[in-house]
Amino acid sequence: MFSIPSSLGMLHSQSVQLLCLTASSGVPLFCRGSTKQLPFSIIGSLNGVHMFGTGHDAALSCCETERGGRVLWRVFHDSLMLIGISSNADVSELHLRRLLENAWNCMVLVLGLDELANTRNVERLKRELRSCYRLIDMLLERGMDDRDGDRGLMGDLTHCADCILFPQADLLQETLDAFTRAAESEFGCLLVRGRLAVATEKWWRLAPQELVLLSALANLPPGKTSCDCPVFLPQGSPNVALRLLCFQLLPGAIACVLCGPRPSLYHVENEQVCRFWSPVVENLRSCLDQAKRSALSPSVGLRRDVLALLLINRESRRSVESLGHACSKATPLLSPARRWELLRLFYTFAATRYFSSEESPSSERPTAELLHEEFSAGFTHLPVHCYLVTDECKCYAVQTPQHQLFLLTDLSVPTFALRSVATHTLDAVTTATGF
Amino acid sequence: MAYIAAGSIMVSDWHRSPESREFFSKILHNKKRRKFGLLEAPVMPPHLKADIVRYKVFLSGKSGVGKTALAARLAGLDMPKIHYETTGMETCGVFWPVKLRESGRMLFFHFQLWDCGESAMRRFDHMLPSCKEHVDAILFLFSFTDRGSFEDLSNQMSRITEPSDRLVRLVVGTKFDLFMHTDVTESDITRFEEVWGVPVFRVGGDVSGGFGEISLLLNALAENLWHQDCMHASTSVPSYPGHIGPEIIV
Repeated sequence: MFSIPSSLGMLHSQSVQLLCLTASSGVPLFCRGSTKQLPFSIIGSLNGVHMFGTGHDAALSCCETERGGRVLWRVFHDSLMLIGISSNADVSELHLRRLLENAWNCMVLVLGLDELANTRNVERLKRELRSCYRLIDMLLERGMDDRDGDRGLMGDLTHCADCILFPQADLLQETLDAFTRAAESEFGCLLVRGRLAVATEKWWRLAPQELVLLSALANLPPGKTSCDCPVFLPQGSPNVALRLLCFQLLPGAIACVLCGPRPSLYHVENEQVCRFWSPVVENLRSCLDQAKRSALSPSVGLRRDVLALLLINRESRRSVESLGHACSKATPLLSPARRWELLRLFYTFAATRYFSSEESPSSERPTAELLHEEFSAGFTHLPVHCYLVTDECKCYAVQTPQHQLFLLTDLSVPTFALRSVATHTLDAVTTATGF
Repeated sequence: MAYIAAGSIMVSDWHRSPESREFFSKILHNKKRRKFGLLEAPVMPPHLKADIVRYKVFLSGKSGVGKTALAARLAGLDMPKIHYETTGMETCGVFWPVKLRESGRMLFFHFQLWDCGESAMRRFDHMLPSCKEHVDAILFLFSFTDRGSFEDLSNQMSRITEPSDRLVRLVVGTKFDLFMHTDVTESDITRFEEVWGVPVFRVGGDVSGGFGEISLLLNALAENLWHQDCMHASTSVPSYPGHIGPEIIV
């Protein structure tokens, strides 16, 4: 591994790079993430060391450098290899691992499994893969250089669907159900500022990873009014394409349906959209207003020293993230972007070190990664609380059979009080919202 | 169908006249174009009531000629920083106020621009028929920096449309600002216009987001669509030009 680590310095300090090669022949298919592409010789060596391992019956999955650089390899369906490379210690192994899974799922979503698993013509595949770049780049930017619209979306990391909670969602739910039926579908959802506000029962039954990617794909930029994208569901329908229809009702409020060959985009847009959604336009407006402030309904009273929180419902695999009121004077003032970043880092810290049981062993993940934990290796019990004090904030995580809460508070909260702040917050949020 | 000369039906350069200020202010917000959702439309005060006429416009052209960028330019959206292949079909809406020369009547045209990634269109059969469903106009795009895309035009025009189709056809050359690299000469364009009887518009370069560059194209589109509907109305059952959309609140 000698020459690789030093070359990682060539990456921009914040960057993560993603390489895709054919697994058998090592032909590079694409490289995303950095403005400066890695030289071919390095791509070759990265593939070479992995191949060397395979030749000796050893699976090379990850390597770290002394300065915090990290490389992760993974082969999907014996056909394509994805390599994730970061030069920054803040980019965790979990982040990279998720990135590879998500990137693969994106590729399946856009092109279908058959196209990827049975490569017939490499040049053609290379061309087809270009249609995935937009989605892959969006994922690469998450948690790195958050654009405004994406602030605080964490589903790519948690593999839970990012949700937003509204006090009176019944009317929207009814409207969505009726709209979805009219579009000859059972799968429909309403996204508000990139988060799931309401969805039909069937939509919730899609795999959480699929929900995360569909939300990302459906999140049209303001100004685009609708789209009709062929999608393959990585778990639900990897070889038969469905159509994802999205309609920007108001800037930031998007209704989506998954359907078969009918009805046409033109028909739904011109016949159904106004008919169903015009009567609730004021509700949508007030949802958008609320969403500007928080993903939690206004009825939830958060303590003033809460900086940010992430609440996961473990059963339904849904999550809500929110920033606190941020009127504290005690700590160094943390920008919203920094608070989101810290929340992601703390989630990664707690989820990989202490709540690792949550890390469901996915089908193809090498078992070696499960044994990474030094803490759980030495103890027989599973931790249910953990905390961390840094020079920017204090962090506390609680795990119950139903929920996980990750909380950031400012430094003014006494460390001994963190536990009760966290349990109270968990109670307050779950009681007020029924999440 | 014969092409209508600029200014014969609608007041050209109306966006520069003080009279139009109130109309254009409805499609602007903080000096940038206002972004409308599907449930929204510009609403004028009662004394200036203006109907909205809706048309579907399909953007056709080879991969990479700038269909998405042109749609963004016409709709006043942020220009994509790097080129991405469009994953499926995307639409965006453009409201454009005009004044009819003869009656002095003022209208909002609404162009629903349809843009479809080439590879999606190749892989999925339903894309092209869907783009052509109820289409009122097609913009054929080529890039000044790609001679192939220009040479493909005639092929494309005859492949996608039938002479009997009732639709407006215009040709748009993109990336005109990159004249240093241009592959298409003025005489090529003149010849093309003569053979096909279709005007060629040039866009590219104007990054200010103003109306200067696009007003010619939008006005031409509006005039030809209006004319087409009037011709149709006079030969068949009398009907109202355009599709007056459902009532929309703002």
